[in-house]
Amino acid sequence: MRKNSRISSGLSRRQFLKGLGVSGAGLMLAQAGLMRLAAQAGSINYWHHFTSESEFLGLEAIMAQFKERYPDIDLIQENIPNADFMARFTAGVLADTRANVSMVTTERLADMVAMEGLVPITDRVNSWELREYFPDNRWTGITVDGEIYGVPAFSFVDWMYYRKDWFEEAGITPPTTLDEFRAACVALTDPAQGRYGFGMRAGGGGQAFIADMIEAFGSPLVVDGEVAIDRALAIEAMDFWSGLYKDGLVPPSAPGDSYRQIMEGFKTGQTGMVWHHTGSLAEIQAAMTPDQFGTATKPTGPADTLTRTSFLYNGLMKDENADAAWAWVSFWGENDPAITFLEATGYFPASTAVADDARIAENPIYAPAIVSAAQGKLPPQFIGFAGWSQEIALPAFQRILTGESTVEQAVDEMISGLADAL
Amino acid sequence: MTSSDVLEAPTGRADPAFPLFSLLGRLSESRGWAYFLIIPSLILIMVVVIYPVISGILMSFQELRLTRPGSNGYIGFEHYIDLVSDRIFLRALQNTVVWVIGGVTSQFLLGLITALALNRGIFGSRLARIVVLLPWILPTVAAGHMWALMLDPRLGVINDILVRLGFLDSYRAWFADPSTAMPAVLVVALWQGFPFFTLMLLAGMQGIPDDLYEAASVDGANPLQEFIHITLPLLRPIIVSTVVLRVIGLVNAPDLLIILTNGGPGDATQMLSLYAFNKAYASFDFGYAGAISVVMFIILMVFTIVYVRALRATQE
Repeated sequence: MRKNSRISSGLSRRQFLKGLGVSGAGLMLAQAGLMRLAAQAGSINYWHHFTSESEFLGLEAIMAQFKERYPDIDLIQENIPNADFMARFTAGVLADTRANVSMVTTERLADMVAMEGLVPITDRVNSWELREYFPDNRWTGITVDGEIYGVPAFSFVDWMYYRKDWFEEAGITPPTTLDEFRAACVALTDPAQGRYGFGMRAGGGGQAFIADMIEAFGSPLVVDGEVAIDRALAIEAMDFWSGLYKDGLVPPSAPGDSYRQIMEGFKTGQTGMVWHHTGSLAEIQAAMTPDQFGTATKPTGPADTLTRTSFLYNGLMKDENADAAWAWVSFWGENDPAITFLEATGYFPASTAVADDARIAENPIYAPAIVSAAQGKLPPQFIGFAGWSQEIALPAFQRILTGESTVEQAVDEMISGLADAL
Repeated sequence: MTSSDVLEAPTGRADPAFPLFSLLGRLSESRGWAYFLIIPSLILIMVVVIYPVISGILMSFQELRLTRPGSNGYIGFEHYIDLVSDRIFLRALQNTVVWVIGGVTSQFLLGLITALALNRGIFGSRLARIVVLLPWILPTVAAGHMWALMLDPRLGVINDILVRLGFLDSYRAWFADPSTAMPAVLVVALWQGFPFFTLMLLAGMQGIPDDLYEAASVDGANPLQEFIHITLPLLRPIIVSTVVLRVIGLVNAPDLLIILTNGGPGDATQMLSLYAFNKAYASFDFGYAGAISVVMFIILMVFTIVYVRALRATQE
């Protein structure tokens, strides 16, 4: 028997089986590798809401890098205007014409998950080799009930652009509190010269500032799924915010001003300050000289910061071609794409490994953004927030500006509207 | 082989090897042939018209919020009851009436004047016909953004012209003021919509025989009398259909409003179509949006029936 247990090459049965096992494991690994490569092939589509030329240039650059890395994946990008994004997303879910990958923002996450529009990717994220470079706060904004639904692509770091030359002319420094901010608005406003202190965004997209202001004055919006707006604090907040318009410190067009209008107002010398995030840096830099503008952190409110630091995520809408979709989603977290996109647009990377890069850390223009990124808080995350802020809060605030409502009436409307939305 | 053999073969009558042809041949001679031919169209209409309408009506009786899957279900007339006390809905209804009456009237009048001018066949009218159509051809999105820029309170060329001509002291934020937002949107809609009336009315005018005008002229009718007693009556079918189509278009299409004002400031330009759209795609409340849409549907049906009957009665 013992003799029979040897094979003709002189190997023992044990050695033979061991060799067979190793070979099998190697074969399985090779097969898994081949399967993985095969899985990272095919065609995927990507829904996004990039709008500016710089964003498109950045996207194209990243897509070129991606194609070089994954030549077998055909990536089709589909631009959907931000205002129509949820309409398209909802139609995609209802009609089951989903994209493979969709952009996701924290404000929209709760609604997207509630309508079962996203696929959880917790296991993929937890086994991702770059996971350690994304601290926990990066995942908070994309997690619902313990499940992760996307990977941070870049961050929205709130900050302020200000007219450096106007501030020097007025002998003031960038404000750090809302009282100083108002004083700066007063100092910079000169209707005779067509100058206003601040470019208020109270048209499309202006809803974000309403929630920011209410929280900065100390009132939460929702606690444990219930309306938690403190009426007195909200009135104080809206009184301050609308007071800038009533006192003529912002352009009279503010009730209709959206992103494009506030940016043009700042670039053409109509306003002295404007609040946005770092994503508009490339546009400002292209239009103005370094002597004309500076960047600073947003002023803080009486009770809380006004600064938000949120992240733009990419998530999977369906399981089909999931490996290829994951390749695209996770690619955004790597250093080269992140730096490429930052240089094209000004959007800050979400990865700490990239944020520590000398090209960012040693550039003085980014210094306020680094501070803001550390201080900023995430946007509200509750189901119905997007609808409430856009359909209830913003029109109510606009009615204060146009004199159709008092501050008290508008706040009451916001509170009752929030109760309906929840 | 004779020619009659060739003609007979497809019917299958002479060849039992083609039972389908035989069946079709028999059917084509029966009264059911007409119904058979319209079956494909009927199926298409059922799929793309009847089913969505019924589905929309059923939706309006349901709580159907995509973000609250657990609480969805039939709730009867609850949405309709809520509509009665919904301040935004009532404002949107009022605005929609202003928008439709203002829009259709202004577009019809300008379209009629333009059609009359182009129908005179003066020098350059061929080129003018093409130029006049451009606003209608331009996509609404492009037209909306173009006008938003032209009316911009900082860079707008219209503000610049009005200031230079002395009509304004300074640039005006047309879309930020509730008193000017609706008129400004109506102007944009007028610019975009009048070529539709021009095109249709001009086609109608060119179909009116010259003999009628010559006879009227011999009888001593002046141009105004010719217009009132010949042109307008003969254009009546076209006027009816274009007005109905335009009313439906204005009530249903929120695209221009989304670009220019999104219903603001406040609710100054909020319309039923826009409100329904935002209820569905911003609040994901498809049941409530369905109820708003059904109300729009009923209003349009009632308008169309009353309008067509009223015009028919006038004609009779």
